[in-house]
Amino acid sequence: MNTPLPNIDLQTVYYALAAVVLPFTAFLVNLFISGKNSKISGWVSTGAILVSAVFAVMVFGRVWNSHAIHAQQLWFTIGQTPVYAGVWLNNLSVLMLLLVTVIALPVHVYSTAYIKTHENNRYFTYLSLFCFSMLALVVVDSLVLLYAFWELVGFSSYLLIGFWFTRDSAVQANKKAFIMNRIGDIGLLTAIIILFSQYHTFDLIQLFGDNGLVVKSIIKNDRWIGPVSQIAATWQYVACIGIFLAVAAKSAQFPLHTWLPDAMEGPTSVSALIHAATMVAAGVFLLGRVYPMFNIQELDALAVIGCFTAFMAATIALTQNDLKRILAYSTISQLGYMIMAMGINAYASSLFHLVTHAFFKCLLFLCSGVIIHEMQHIKEENQLDIDPQNILYMGGLRKKLPITFIACVIGCLALVGLPLTSGYLSKDGILIQSFEWAEGRSTWGYLIPVGIMLTSCLTAFYVARLIFKVFFGKFRLKEILPDVHLHISDGGWQYTLPLIFLSLCSLFPLFSLNPFLYEHAWLYKGFVPSNYLARESIYHTIIPVIINLASVFVAYWAYAVYIQQRKLVFPQTSFLFRLSYNQWYIDAFYRKVIANAAVQLGQVLFWLDRNVVDGLVHLLTKVTGWLSALTAWTDRYIVDGTLHLIAAIASAIGNFFRSFQGGKVQYYLFSMLAVILALFIIKLLI
Amino acid sequence: MITMTHYLVLSAGLFCIGLYVILAKQNAVQILIGIELMLNAAILNLVAFSRFDKLNNSGQTFALFAIVLAAASTAVALAIILNVYRRYRTIDPGKVNQLKD
Amino acid sequence: MNILTLLIFSPALFGLIILALPSSWRASYKYITLLAALLQVGMSVSMYLNFKTGAAFGGFNQEGQYQFVQKLPWISLNLGSTGKMQIDYFVGVDGMSIMLLVMSAVVMVIATLASWEIKSNLKGYFALFLMLDMAVMGVFSALDFFLFYLFYELMLLPLYFLIGMWGGARREYAAIKFFLYTLFGSVFMLLVMVGLYLSVTDPATGNHTFNIVQMMNPANYQQGSVFALLGQQTLFGIPARIVGFVVLFVAFAIKVPVVPFHTWLPDAHVEAPTPVSIILAGVLLKIGGYGIIRICMGIFPEVAVSGAFWLGLLGVISILYGALNALAQRDLKRLIAYSSVSHMGFVLLGVASQTAEGVSGAMMQMISHGFLSAMLFFLVGVVYNRVHDRDIYNFRGLATLMPDYTVYVMIAFFASLGLPGFSAFVAEAFSLAGAFKSTLLPHWMAVCGSVGILLSAAYFLWTLQRMFFGQARLKGGEVWKTALSKLDIREKAALLPLALLALLLGIMPSLALDKINDSVLAFIHFLQLK
Repeated sequence: MNTPLPNIDLQTVYYALAAVVLPFTAFLVNLFISGKNSKISGWVSTGAILVSAVFAVMVFGRVWNSHAIHAQQLWFTIGQTPVYAGVWLNNLSVLMLLLVTVIALPVHVYSTAYIKTHENNRYFTYLSLFCFSMLALVVVDSLVLLYAFWELVGFSSYLLIGFWFTRDSAVQANKKAFIMNRIGDIGLLTAIIILFSQYHTFDLIQLFGDNGLVVKSIIKNDRWIGPVSQIAATWQYVACIGIFLAVAAKSAQFPLHTWLPDAMEGPTSVSALIHAATMVAAGVFLLGRVYPMFNIQELDALAVIGCFTAFMAATIALTQNDLKRILAYSTISQLGYMIMAMGINAYASSLFHLVTHAFFKCLLFLCSGVIIHEMQHIKEENQLDIDPQNILYMGGLRKKLPITFIACVIGCLALVGLPLTSGYLSKDGILIQSFEWAEGRSTWGYLIPVGIMLTSCLTAFYVARLIFKVFFGKFRLKEILPDVHLHISDGGWQYTLPLIFLSLCSLFPLFSLNPFLYEHAWLYKGFVPSNYLARESIYHTIIPVIINLASVFVAYWAYAVYIQQRKLVFPQTSFLFRLSYNQWYIDAFYRKVIANAAVQLGQVLFWLDRNVVDGLVHLLTKVTGWLSALTAWTDRYIVDGTLHLIAAIASAIGNFFRSFQGGKVQYYLFSMLAVILALFIIKLLI
Repeated sequence: MITMTHYLVLSAGLFCIGLYVILAKQNAVQILIGIELMLNAAILNLVAFSRFDKLNNSGQTFALFAIVLAAASTAVALAIILNVYRRYRTIDPGKVNQLKD
Repeated sequence: MNILTLLIFSPALFGLIILALPSSWRASYKYITLLAALLQVGMSVSMYLNFKTGAAFGGFNQEGQYQFVQKLPWISLNLGSTGKMQIDYFVGVDGMSIMLLVMSAVVMVIATLASWEIKSNLKGYFALFLMLDMAVMGVFSALDFFLFYLFYELMLLPLYFLIGMWGGARREYAAIKFFLYTLFGSVFMLLVMVGLYLSVTDPATGNHTFNIVQMMNPANYQQGSVFALLGQQTLFGIPARIVGFVVLFVAFAIKVPVVPFHTWLPDAHVEAPTPVSIILAGVLLKIGGYGIIRICMGIFPEVAVSGAFWLGLLGVISILYGALNALAQRDLKRLIAYSSVSHMGFVLLGVASQTAEGVSGAMMQMISHGFLSAMLFFLVGVVYNRVHDRDIYNFRGLATLMPDYTVYVMIAFFASLGLPGFSAFVAEAFSLAGAFKSTLLPHWMAVCGSVGILLSAAYFLWTLQRMFFGQARLKGGEVWKTALSKLDIREKAALLPLALLALLLGIMPSLALDKINDSVLAFIHFLQLK
């Protein structure tokens, strides 16, 4: 680890900024030349990333194992808190800078041929935006910016997954990816807010630097006491959980991993760059940046989750038939290795594996892209209704696609971790250190190294299955439909060149001159503290031997099953098979339980809103209405009624007397008679 | 033997019949007849009471005057009825109501 | 002539011009209104540029620190022995109001552009529109409570007619609901206002005063008066100052709107014509937030401090409740109306935190939501004008039919759900940071508030997926397909500035925060003195 220098090397900072900004320029240029049906956009973006890669190499040369560089500028002030924007270049960030540009370059080249002309502009606009966000993410120095680019990366990934937006499955997938990532984002946001209120700064170096604020704080008596202020210890755990959620969402760890297999709806070149090599590694990168946050127990939890994810994803990959889905689950599994490695304090190995994995997984995806492309070609030529990604239709392709075959085998060997590949170096490092970690612990501690060994064997199996099903045996589509036309090949130089380049990068010489000892890899040494003493234990010789023998045996078993057609596997109706095939039912559970629950809750609340909250208002209205009706009635029949009654009595009396004045002589006479009679009667009675 | 009471009862009967006719009938001529009946009841009383004044026979004298006056007023009344009939085409006093308030 | 007075009354002037013009010139009314609105933007921007910042210009409770002040005696009655009744025409701005004025002026331009859709009774419409404009500007700059109240009530009248006459099918219901709701709040506000008038005296003249800034100073309260700080008078057994605060808060909470006083909002929005929705969401809701800061908390600071928990709780409830309700909607406009409830919840949460970060975040959220909600409602208006339908399930795959429109919708949606780079991100993040940092609110409130951000992603993305992506399939078939034409120049001219402003404020929040900061710090300092 290196410390920042007071006198800043501005030139390097400018180089780094140029590397970051160039893809953004390409994005803007593409935005303005939108609508043109040409391949210009592709070359703009590719050119930008090429120059970017050159700058990244220069920055790498200046910073790697030398002094870290930190430069910042005031961005804005909120209240009394200044928020800075700046770059922090240390071993970790320059490595990521280099990795992203170097992986992105072949993918760009590949994409110029892979993407159809009329979609070219839109595709490269998105892709450049992604590259910009990703590159910015790795160099920024403040948590606010980190979060900003963290989410922008998710956003560009959203755009690219839903690239074919008329497909329902694609838009389902991108929505799911974004929302799952959003769960992680709010975790990260919560963590940032907690860190901010605890330390009053967003600066990564002040927080997580060698002598940073986080290292100086302690947990005592259930209080998390930092140099600036203190808070209940729970919030330290909440912050760590938040960061873990962010990591789990981006790096597809259990329980937030289900978006990644669905994300394969995007173009394959995108899957190669984003969902295999770079973006998904951002979670591991984040862990690397905020590593001092985690205490021992939290690291243990990380290790357990990483190990579990690795194992679970590997079991799922065993039975999938979709080529890209198998690779997606293997990505989840490998990311699990990295997270676990972080958890068992194998910081250097984790990052080492991140880098090697990026190369060979990108290679594998690009190979699968070629295969899918050719299958699509067959499908369109013969007007078939088949899924071009289904490996059950493939077989024997090694003669048709020789370069792809070789590249794919190299990638697979690296994935399994056989000697002479880069994967061997990084993976064995993790395995060995996991045993060393488990040594000082209870028996339960050994579950992790054993689980991870088992995962390695499973990896060997599904990788072998993939190779045998796709490249060996007979072309099964030809067996089903004998009259299909086959005009397929490896494709032009835009396809083959990236494959060859990445294949070379997946071999050992790039990382270490000694193909058997991971400690000798320069990359590993770059992250190990200078005072670190490698322990000489028996594991260093035993583990590689055991694991490689086991892998070879498992691969042979797969060969026996799939090529020689021996029945050595579980029947397809067994519970374990179904569990694996249905991806442990996790996705179904989320869809049926959690997503439904959220929507139902929304419906219920809306009902409440309509009927209870608004109902209260309406009730109030109604009550007022009733009250007013009542008063109106009273007014009409009681108050006014009394008045009317009086009037009616008066008028009745009037009418009574009026009738005597009818103007009719006979009535007068009658009245007179009546009066006289009355008088007589009264007189008689008295 | 015919006593005073018989006269008086007859007179009262005549008066009542006349009163009834006046009150109940809708025809002016009938009412006029009713008036005559009542007048004659009064005259009958006058004649009957004249027995208490045997010297001057003032009862009979008043009766003669009354008969003459009744004849005259009946003539006037009949003339009015005729005129009313000409003007209103009716002699029902209930329908002749133009003098009403 | 004071530029602020000019800003307030220029719309009225143009309104009179419109009333004076014969009806045969009706085609020109909208251009006159647009001219008025643009002139207002010009004036407010020039005020923004000339606005001085620094600790000496904090404003809030220091009368001398307000800028662009104009103070004229207005109503002056000699009441003999009881003194003199004095109402001033007193306007001025500090850091909080200046940004809201600029935002309102911009939103008014957009609303004018949206008014192109109005076809009937143009004279009445534009006259009322300009009257509303004047009242809104007046509310944000009045510093005399009586004047404030006058403008506040003046706002209701044109809105009632604008909704009731130019609205949708159930417009009478919505208009009367809106009117009664708001009136319910403001009638009681009147009582408190009179109570305050009788309690406060101007130290300079010794008379009672309606001056809001004087009301903030506890020394100005008469001994033994209703709202005196020391007297501890009670009303119905509750301390009078708490009653006063609650009454004022309810009046403004109805405007914000805070759950459970929000049900007028979805109805009013759904029935109102597009420009009125834009003004409602973009400007009127902010008056609630502004009133809570300047009037409720300014006049009753100690109640605000002790009641912070309840304010924060209402804020969190609004955030979550609004978001979940939005998830259940199938009417696009209603969905956006509920999302407004959710987003305005952040304002309340930020204000309740009473930290510099929280209040700045809340102010930022008001400005940002002003632009974004105007954009969202304008976008709904675009599709509604074309096919007269807003049901989400009646549309599918609009992205292939209207690509430009979809781009703007995506910008508006992602900006609203708080994508970094847009203004809402800074606003929401700092509202939550303030809420967490605050010593007055429990920490879980900030965490719950952040769940609102997740839910906003859910309902916006779900809408995008249902309406815009997939194969084009419309309820109205081919008729709709031809009706759903591309955006025209006017619509782009309205949407582009809003998108750019949201982006600009997201990348350079200092544009707004520099102006706001001093006032916010003055406000926080003022609260801490209590």
